[in-house]
Amino acid sequence: MIKYVCKYTPVELFSGFSQECSLLDEVADNFEVSERASHINLCGFGKALMESTLSEDTQELILINCCDTMNRAYDVIDDTKACDFLFMLDLPHQNSDSAAQELGKRLLRLKNEYAASSGIPFDKEAFLNAFAPTAPSESEPYVGILGVRVGKQLEETISSLMPLPVRNLTCVSNREFTCDTKAMADMSEEDMFTAYAVALLSQFPCGRMGMPEIRCKLFDDKNLKGIIYHSIKFCDYYEFEYVGFKRDTTLPILKLETDYTRQSEGQLRTRIQAFAETLSGAADTNQVVAKVPTPANTSYVAGIDSGSASTDVVIMDTAENIISTVIAPTGGGANNSAEQALSDALSKAALSRSDIRVIVKTGYGRDYIADGDDSVTEITCHAAGAHFLSAQARTVIDIGGQDSKVIRIDETGAVQNFVMNDKCAAGTGRFLEMMARALGLTLEQISEIGLDWEEDITISSMCTVFAESEVVSLVAQNKALEDIVHGLNSSVASKVGGLVNRVSPQEGYIMTGGVAKNRGVVKALEDKLETNLYICEHAQLCGAIGAALFALERA
Amino acid sequence: MDREEQVEKFGQLIQKAVLEDPVKARKILINACRIQQAGSVLPSSKVSPSHRYASRQITATMVDALSSPEKSAMVSIFIPSEPLNVAGITPFSVEALSGFLGGVHAEQVFLDAAEEDGASKTLCSFHRIFHGAMGSGVVPNPKMLIYTNLACDANMTSFPYLINRFKIPSFFVEVPYERSEDAVQHVAGQLREMVTFISDVSGKKITDNMLQEAMQRSHRTSEYYLEHLKYQADHAMKSDIASELYAVFTGHIMMGTKKAETYARRMLSDIKKAKGNDAIRLVWLHMIPFLQPSANKYLSFTDRARIVACDLVYDSMMHIDPTNPYEAMAHRMVYSCYNGDYKLRAQRAQQVAEQTKADGIVVFAHWGCKGTLGASALFKRDFEEAGYPTLILDGDGGDPANCSDGQMATRFGAYLEMLEDRR
Ligand code: SF4
Ligand code: SF4
Ligand code: SF4
Repeated sequence: MIKYVCKYTPVELFSGFSQECSLLDEVADNFEVSERASHINLCGFGKALMESTLSEDTQELILINCCDTMNRAYDVIDDTKACDFLFMLDLPHQNSDSAAQELGKRLLRLKNEYAASSGIPFDKEAFLNAFAPTAPSESEPYVGILGVRVGKQLEETISSLMPLPVRNLTCVSNREFTCDTKAMADMSEEDMFTAYAVALLSQFPCGRMGMPEIRCKLFDDKNLKGIIYHSIKFCDYYEFEYVGFKRDTTLPILKLETDYTRQSEGQLRTRIQAFAETLSGAADTNQVVAKVPTPANTSYVAGIDSGSASTDVVIMDTAENIISTVIAPTGGGANNSAEQALSDALSKAALSRSDIRVIVKTGYGRDYIADGDDSVTEITCHAAGAHFLSAQARTVIDIGGQDSKVIRIDETGAVQNFVMNDKCAAGTGRFLEMMARALGLTLEQISEIGLDWEEDITISSMCTVFAESEVVSLVAQNKALEDIVHGLNSSVASKVGGLVNRVSPQEGYIMTGGVAKNRGVVKALEDKLETNLYICEHAQLCGAIGAALFALERA
Repeated sequence: MDREEQVEKFGQLIQKAVLEDPVKARKILINACRIQQAGSVLPSSKVSPSHRYASRQITATMVDALSSPEKSAMVSIFIPSEPLNVAGITPFSVEALSGFLGGVHAEQVFLDAAEEDGASKTLCSFHRIFHGAMGSGVVPNPKMLIYTNLACDANMTSFPYLINRFKIPSFFVEVPYERSEDAVQHVAGQLREMVTFISDVSGKKITDNMLQEAMQRSHRTSEYYLEHLKYQADHAMKSDIASELYAVFTGHIMMGTKKAETYARRMLSDIKKAKGNDAIRLVWLHMIPFLQPSANKYLSFTDRARIVACDLVYDSMMHIDPTNPYEAMAHRMVYSCYNGDYKLRAQRAQQVAEQTKADGIVVFAHWGCKGTLGASALFKRDFEEAGYPTLILDGDGGDPANCSDGQMATRFGAYLEMLEDRR
């Protein structure tokens, strides 16, 4: 079995040796081996490749010098002598005659080297018979996965959640070309391999080929209804393309960045689901849990927002009046906290569980809560909640404990666009919490103290660990606490401001989430965005309010 | 106001101008260059005359690039620059421009601009600063753009994007992975086309004769440099952390000019005159984090440690045959130690370490620079097997936010202590 990683690999060639080829595309559990053998700051795919090659036995492997990561992955794999046959195919960056000629020579060399190494004679006929005619692509509406390879698992998750068929158009996946095998049969060996090279290079170019003017055709298809754009951390080929697509297309587009491991699946799921909800136009989820039979004549609903830091409950009556609210710290698991918070909210309003007709859950923990009738992602809920809190709201900035998000909504409260922060803590409540701890302040203190600053200190580190040591050294330099805190607030503001700019923001800013209570951050953000943020009493309950509103729709 | 504060103030001034009026910001930058060139802001009797000369010439290059875009070309640093220089076109590379902007502490505003424009945060910061500078309009569109896949895939992201966005005439040179004579011929063919392209776009005739003369100068530059390496072990020139960087740029974008030759010749005479000292001798792989206070502390104006050679410099200084200019330029690309697998780069570093009696080798693992990062563990193993204690120094040459200076100080300091101990 020959393993390969790239769609430009001449897989048909190996039919000439009666060998099967399989695409190496597994995500990794961790990167222990590869990070020791090379470096942590490489793309996850490169590391996953090293991980699997160095720890399992991949006997025969064809690599492509796709990028610097691949070049070094080759060095590392070659160094271990783990493979019986390892070949680095030099792939040109152009689709020209001279490039094809060079590639043709290299294909021929690959053929000869493989013949010599395996001792198997090359069967030209078997090779030529291996070219499969390409199936015409069906013309039906679809969601496209674009960008860099996604890995099987993520592709499956996406397919299972989307309301439309999904087409994987990522770098390695659309391997399609035609080849005149009849003509090739009569050619000299050199010419035959040049013709093969021409065909390989004629494929729709991946991002690595550096042909942005051709690649923009990807979103020109009228059947394309939505784009999930995948990128891998530390892979830079696809970033600009994403921004260009986003600028030029009116299609809904969701960006997913992964590190090619199984981690962070929860967050990804939430975002994919939220995107699916935008695509189907409403918050109809395919996750409807079997309805709990509820008494018919009661007229209350509840929304539960199970966040990482707090669990919020809102009870509403049919006239959209908020009857009872609870904000409780999430401790002892999502389910326990939700049960407790719900029962507190009920007793505050002197109601019992049977008075609640429908419960909708949202937030990270939503799938872990046993009670409840339906679940909707926090993106959609925040949008609805923000619209409820202010009909003028168009741009929702939510800074919570673990993540921050910015949502653009229309005049009906429907999501038009949204972004979330990446995995790191910068620009979240957690960042502030850790800095407060480093400075020996309480959360209340840190939210006030930064307002009276004098010196404009820039905290340049975004990473919490680095920022912490920066803060410690500022303290050591006897910088005023007010100025340091202001610096931290500005750092959060600049991170969140960056997110805001990515959603094409519109006036009508509303800030929600726990950090809305932090006056220093609010002020810094207002300065950064040069606008006022609307913050209301129920700011922290926005997600739960949205959930309650969806519960009302279902009541 | 001390120099640090001055530079800091200037950085703030420029950042403000970028946001308000990019053209004004450009003027401020040009003026700053001129002042620097006149030597009034950065006087330093602490570095050797040849380094000061190089510093002035590089600055002049940046002034030319910023003030006469119609006579400038943006290039990958590995593009042979002789044809451009003989045609009177100023080549400037990503690293040179970004290094310069970083040097005047103006990087942050460009990093932010690039991020808003979509540059990935993991992209090499030199490229990000560069994008920000182009995108914000502070750096005017050059007459042409020439790039190559050699050494760095960030080029393959940045250049196509900028070409597509700004519609600048461009040329691409593909260097095969394999080092062979066949590859040299293939590249030489492309370089012939490149020269035609430069002529066409600039309207300047480039004759074989002109190229041969330029290659003669490059040849002499390389030979002076290689000769100077022989003295590095026992002669210590006065230098600061940026000195090697000047050599990086003279050895690439200024190759083929009289200035580059003058620099190399003067450097040879400086080093011959210089006395030896007990400083720890380091061979340095890749960029030098000149913005990092800790690295500065250990490497600038001190007798504690010095960089005796940097692979970005010695890589371009090869013995070449100037009578066949195209083949010579192609040879330099194909046989660059940055091409192909990591082995040649490791071997050359060891040879140079031996020649310069280096105490150790530092691999600078610049954030986002995957070509070097990916091989860092292999480098360390190979070098240590050959008897050279090796430090993999994680950091970021262009964006200080990506690394903790305190950590760098500790690591670098401990490494030097270790080397001192070994002596
Ligand atoms: S980016 Fe292109 S060259 Fe690289 S692996 Fe994917 S298809 Fe192959
Ligand atoms: S994901 Fe990107 S960086 Fe990683 S191997 Fe593929 S193209 Fe290279
Ligand atoms: S530092 Fe590395 S990634 Fe950045 S431009 Fe240089 S070679 Fe490329």
